[in-house]
Amino acid sequence: MRPRTREFRRGAAAAIDDEKIQRSLLGLYEGFHKSRQTAAAGTEDWEALRERARQVKTHTIANLDRYLEMFEARVTEMGGIVRFAADAEAANRYVLDLARSRGVRTVVKSKSMVSEEMGLNEVLAGAGIESVETDLGEYVIQLAGEAPFHIVAPAIHKDRHDVSELFHRELGTERARDIGELGLQTRRQLREKFLIADMGVTGANFMVAETGTLVLVTNEGNGRMSTSMPRIHVALAGMERVVPTLEDMGMFLRLLIRSATGQRISSYVTLVNGLRRETDEDGPEEFHIVIVDNGRSRMLADPELREALNCIRCGACLNACPVYRKVGGHSYGYVYPGPIGAIVTPMLTDLGDAKDLPYASSLCGACREACPVKINIPRMLLTLRRDLAEGSEVSGRRKGSVMERAAFAAWRRLFASNRLLGLGLRMGRLMQAPLVRRGSIGWLPAPLSGWTRHRTLRPLPARSFRDRWNSGLGRGR
Amino acid sequence: MTTERGEFFSTLGRALERGVGQAHEPEPIRFDDEATVAMRADAVRHEADARGGELLDQLYASAEAGGWVVHRPANAEEALGVVVDIAVGLGAKSLVRSDHDVLGELGVDGPLSEQGIVVTKMASAASSDDGESAPMEAAAESMRDAAVGADLGLTGSDYAVAETGSVVLVAGRGVSRIVSLVPPVHVAVVRKGSVLPGLDELFTMLRRDHGAGDPASYVNVISGPSRSADIEYTLVTGVHGPGEVHLILLD
Repeated sequence: MRPRTREFRRGAAAAIDDEKIQRSLLGLYEGFHKSRQTAAAGTEDWEALRERARQVKTHTIANLDRYLEMFEARVTEMGGIVRFAADAEAANRYVLDLARSRGVRTVVKSKSMVSEEMGLNEVLAGAGIESVETDLGEYVIQLAGEAPFHIVAPAIHKDRHDVSELFHRELGTERARDIGELGLQTRRQLREKFLIADMGVTGANFMVAETGTLVLVTNEGNGRMSTSMPRIHVALAGMERVVPTLEDMGMFLRLLIRSATGQRISSYVTLVNGLRRETDEDGPEEFHIVIVDNGRSRMLADPELREALNCIRCGACLNACPVYRKVGGHSYGYVYPGPIGAIVTPMLTDLGDAKDLPYASSLCGACREACPVKINIPRMLLTLRRDLAEGSEVSGRRKGSVMERAAFAAWRRLFASNRLLGLGLRMGRLMQAPLVRRGSIGWLPAPLSGWTRHRTLRPLPARSFRDRWNSGLGRGR
Repeated sequence: MTTERGEFFSTLGRALERGVGQAHEPEPIRFDDEATVAMRADAVRHEADARGGELLDQLYASAEAGGWVVHRPANAEEALGVVVDIAVGLGAKSLVRSDHDVLGELGVDGPLSEQGIVVTKMASAASSDDGESAPMEAAAESMRDAAVGADLGLTGSDYAVAETGSVVLVAGRGVSRIVSLVPPVHVAVVRKGSVLPGLDELFTMLRRDHGAGDPASYVNVISGPSRSADIEYTLVTGVHGPGEVHLILLD
């Protein structure tokens, strides 16, 4: 997917003015955030689970190459093919070559965020191969030609009327009366695709190094269909999805599912061990898994940002974030929105282009609190802000603007000196006089105008705390 | 081909070295050997057997909360009655089933056929039963057609999980991937002896099974009907998998 991260401000402003988007974002709070809180509160040892999961993930990422090699060996033993792709292009090339060489005409896709990074649907379509999203939400946004709005609920910004109209226009279906009917229409449309598809593409929630098991967590059953009906199964996985042992899965599933939707468990947890055996009744004859870097090694290389690879993609930080809940998913301009997206997206794309993302946070810490693996998101947002301002060698980040650095240098000098600060305050009081209207400042000239575009500023008081302190307050009067 | 893999891992290696000062981890963990896992699995089995009735009660409650229609017949005869009642109640014309032992023991085929319901056993061994074994490919094709056209899919269960209200199906001989998936209704028969306390115990058992011979290619943990809340957070069932699911608990 081509990033549109430079358009964050414009996108955010448009989303804030869009009543429908605001309504669906309100629903996130009730629908997901509250359910998550209830589920977490109802889980014995929730905090201990989070801590252990954090340790397991941190350990795994620090040994990532070793665990990936183990996973590869197990899958290969079971007849599967493991492919490592340095970037989206290499991954696309592999899937496309495979599809071509096997004469694939139709691909059914279960949800995969990595495939969104790759823009796989477009690549296949360009080669005349039909690729159909089969998760209801993904199907909707594919028909609408949009990007996912949310990691877990990709089409949550559309209501039943939008979807009904969209189906009518794109598929020629009758306008549905309710959501149940939309579900049925989807079942009918996609059932046909499942029956003719030659290849099923899925994502990967976890890859278990010990056993070579691919774990898929789904609710609709499209993941099961994609791994049962077509003769070829291709899984796409970010390289950080590996975990050491099968017996860790109880913990990870509890944390992932409860954090994502508040469910105790999803309708289906599917474990895939290579391809079908000779004694099996059905299943694909080929199993391929493409493990993708696509910029992740940049995070891995940076000790301060490596923790972002611990993410298990539950979406809880999106639902908890007061900024995401106003600006929505599309504003972020890439596959991963919200607080974790504000770290991952700049690292997978370009920090310079995505420079607004690390600032799209009040650093309130709600994301960190919601995270099932305790990722310290605010700390990493500050790291990116620092790197934007001062530049950083690790991933070749460039320095921030000269103006900004000069302004902050001046700010530091001002606040480091008692005399200068006193002088500055006196000057500020004189200069603000023409701008104060009814006790507040509603407009500042450039380059400060950004501050007052959406909010007012309190003017400096006639007598500051410093003045009062010096004239007796400090001596207890 | 090898160069692409080589480059992937050398990038990874470089990235990891750079982080060494911050988060040094000496070695990957050592995985438990099969004997240790087997001991753990025995302990799980022991605990589950000791708590059999209690676990069945817990499974009843959690499955019901998870969207299953739960039945608890007093004996095998009643269980058979439940299966037939569900099929007849749906007006089912055709049914596909797995080759789980429990279904054979209940003797579901006769009574269902008597109701005019066409029963297809989704097992490649089935064709050789009547002497004229069809070629593998053709058999697989016709089984799939049977599943796609069926009104009901009937299975046993290889494990069940009391904590989460789940039925676990392990693909293999006689256990198709699609019997529990493609028809609009799924009925699963669970025996007391297959119920495990929780997810952790399930994964211990699955880990043991994995190490014992050729691992099963496919395991599904099924916890209620096919669900979606992708539009307006409103729950819809049966978008791809079965919208109606029944659990029959056998003491």
